[in-house]
Parts: sequence; structure tokens; C-alpha cells
Amino acid sequence: MTMTLDIEPRKLPLHDEHLLKGARMGDFGGWLVPLFYTSIMEEHAAVRHKAGLFDISHMGEFLVEGQGALEFLEKNLPRRLGKVKFQQAIYMPLVNDQGGMVDDIIVYRMAEERFLIIVNASNIAKDFAWFEARASNGVTVNDLSEDMGLLALQGPLSQKILLEAFGAYYKDLKRFYYKDFEGGMIARTGYTGEDGYEIMIPKKKLKAVWDVLFRAGEQYGLLPVGFGARDTLRLEAAMPLYGHELTDDITPLEADLEWAVDLTKEHFPGLEILKKQKANGVSRKRIGFEMVDRGIPRHGFEVQKDGKVLGMVTSGSFIPTTGKNIGMAYVSVQEAKVGNSIDIMIRGKAVKAVIVSLPFYKKKG
Amino acid sequence: MDFPENLRYTKTHEWIAVQGTKAKVGVTEYAQKEISDVVFVELPKKDQIVQQAKTAAVVESVKAAFDIYAPASGKVVAANAALEGNPALINQSPYGDGWIFELELSNAGELNNLLNAKQYLEAVQQAPQH
Repeated sequence: MTMTLDIEPRKLPLHDEHLLKGARMGDFGGWLVPLFYTSIMEEHAAVRHKAGLFDISHMGEFLVEGQGALEFLEKNLPRRLGKVKFQQAIYMPLVNDQGGMVDDIIVYRMAEERFLIIVNASNIAKDFAWFEARASNGVTVNDLSEDMGLLALQGPLSQKILLEAFGAYYKDLKRFYYKDFEGGMIARTGYTGEDGYEIMIPKKKLKAVWDVLFRAGEQYGLLPVGFGARDTLRLEAAMPLYGHELTDDITPLEADLEWAVDLTKEHFPGLEILKKQKANGVSRKRIGFEMVDRGIPRHGFEVQKDGKVLGMVTSGSFIPTTGKNIGMAYVSVQEAKVGNSIDIMIRGKAVKAVIVSLPFYKKKG
Repeated sequence: MDFPENLRYTKTHEWIAVQGTKAKVGVTEYAQKEISDVVFVELPKKDQIVQQAKTAAVVESVKAAFDIYAPASGKVVAANAALEGNPALINQSPYGDGWIFELELSNAGELNNLLNAKQYLEAVQQAPQH
């Protein structure tokens, strides 16, 4: 058996708390993060049926503000910010001039000319440079990532736990809205396919909030959840992950994210290319598949049919809820039909799979 | 952690139980803990020839695949089919019901390259701690 060694990754602010809870730590894009505390299976189930708490403080936060901030973002982001209400949040990819995706982000509108943007940890430097290079006079872009921590409380019982911990003030918080909290915010967002909240606060307050949530959540079966289950949860909900389903060479239309870009806008980087692609049709498409024969698909495995290469697996895993082996892949659009049988090349062997509709899991109600 | 005295070990965390010219192979208690929930096992085929320190099987957790190396060269005479239906046997009983395959040894001299329980324990203690 071979195992990889960790090479000096960065530690999360709650590193010691994770060790106290028995976390198995591992490397994730240069960060030492909890992979799981007890088991991925158990933590995945907790989020689907009760609640789980994630430390995702590795993620990046930028504050964009100043006169012209709205106009700057309208010009550079693929959705309309003007109609986003104060304290509302909106998801979208960051698109480059070639129509590829630099990252996917959530933009929180704090005021007329003040926006908070949450970006992926691995893209903090790249995204910051992207915003800075485009910012006009009077608009400042500040990277708050060093100072801010982020927790995600996810699962059907997360509202009960949140209200018990922080009071009824957060009761009427709607999906994709936020309210101020302790020098940061609580937003009703997440990356698991369940109801839940993301709590952004200054790092120095992180431990206190972590402790209060566990005290409130104990009676509801709240568990700490690691990055292993974070990945199986988002995969089951068919949420794309940068570096897998989203890359600088894949367009939002190919990724099935047309709903997250507004092609009727006057301008944003890559718009003309995306319009052309919309008119001509994409040549490859993101699909979901389920293994028919035995084998677990993994990132980078080839997709074939009758010996012909159709594309590549971008994410794949055993899924705790159903016990199935599933994955997402990009395949040529002619073959991207639900029900089509395909082969996944696993260690040199063609293993049968079938294309299924996404998501693999949808929350009831 | 339990490392039975009667087994030989590899630095890559396989064990081998030699009985005459035959030997059963599995992964150690340390390995099953490192892998965590085993959800898939790819077994070698009967009569397959395996070589010492070369991949003979694959054990997968939810998130990763781990190559299992043959502790010694030989011909596969049996594979533990029970693992196909219940891969968690590797977690529950790494030295018992979680065995992976059985070999007819082709070169008993290779066994001298392997570690005894005490040497393996030392190797594990030097491994990076999480």
C-alpha cells in the first residue's frame, strides 16, 4: 500500500479543535484540513438527516467597495448585480476573456457600492489579481482572507441549531440572503444540497462560535464534518468543483451553468464567445453517470464508448447514501444522453456505466 | 495496534502468513486505519502471476485508491470473494476474514526481505503522524 506524505501545508485557525475531535488531517490544495473525524459515511449521513458543522476557513473573502463598485462588477461579472437586493447573495462563475471559468464565486451585496465576494481557497491569488487588474479608479478590492474565518452549518436540523445558538433574529433568513453577525455575517447558503448556513466571522471569534454551535447542536446530533464528506455531499448534489468540473478552459454553457450567466447583458469578459457558443451549440457537456459494473470512477479517468474516447471523468466516488459508484464527466454532446451506456477506463479496463440525470440527490420538499 | 508475531510484513503495510509453500496476504491494522472505510476491493484473478513489491490488488476508500503490493512472488491460488460483497471486512478483521488473496510461492528466499512484527512496529512508529 502506498500513501502520500503531507508537505508543510497551512493550518486552519481551528486546527487544534479538529485534533481534539479526533480528526484525521490531510492535505487539500496546500491546506491541512480535517478529512474526517469518525468516518466519511457517518458524517455524510449526519448532514443528510440531521446536521453537520464544517470549518471552511481556508476559503477567500474579498471586499469590493467605493464609488463605481457596482458599475465595475456589472461590467466584469456574468450576472446583473444592480437588481440584487442589499443582504442578498448570488452565485456565478468568474468568466475569462476566452469564455472559460476562472473560478466560481458567491457575491453578497452589502450596500449600493459595497460587495463581499467568497472565492475558492486555491484561487485567492489568481482571483484577487483578476479583480485588481480590472478595478477602476475609486474602487478598492481588499483581500480579507487572512482575517476572516468561515463555518458551514448544514443539514435539515441546522435552522433549529442556529436559532438555539444565536436567537430568533435569524429566523426569517431566506435562502441566498444574509444578516450581520459579530463583525461578519450569517448567510443561508451552502455546498451540500441541504438547507444550511455559512457563517463568516473574524478568526479570533471562530472558536467561540464553533463551541456555541456544538453546545446547541448536541441534542440534535450535530457532528463535525470533514472534507471527505464535503466532497461526497457536493458530488451527490451535482455541484461543480473548481479544478474538476470547472476550469479555465471549460465554459459555463458546457458546465450546465447557463442559468448562472446572463447572456442578455451588454458586457462581461467572454460574453461574445459564450453567445456564439450558445448559437452554434456546445461540443461537450457535463454529465452524470452511474457505474453498472464494479469499479469506482476517479478524476482523470477516460470515458469511452466502443473503444472511442468521449471525454474524461472530473469527479467520482462511492456515495454513502445509496452505496452506488457515481461520477461526473465531460463527454461529446452527441453521446451526452441520459440512458446512454458508456465505459469508464479503470486501470486499463473498460468498466460499464450509464449516463443518468443530475443531480444524483435532491432534497425533499 | 496489533501486529501478530507469526506474520511477516512489508514497509508498504501488507502482511503475509506463510504455511508451507502457500501464503495468505492482507493489509495491516495500521493500513486499514489509514485507509478508513473500505468500500471497494479489486482482487487478483486465480492463476495470475504476481511479483514481489508489484501491485497485486487495489483497495479503495470513499476518496482514494490504494495499490496493494505482493509481499512475495508467486501464483494466485485464491482470492477472497467475500470482499466483493463486504469490503468492510478489511476494516473489521484485517488479519482474519479481511485477507485478500492466497499465493503459491515461487521463491521462498524472498521472504528474507520482509520485516518481522517488531521491525514493522518500528517502521510504523517512524511513519509521519497525522
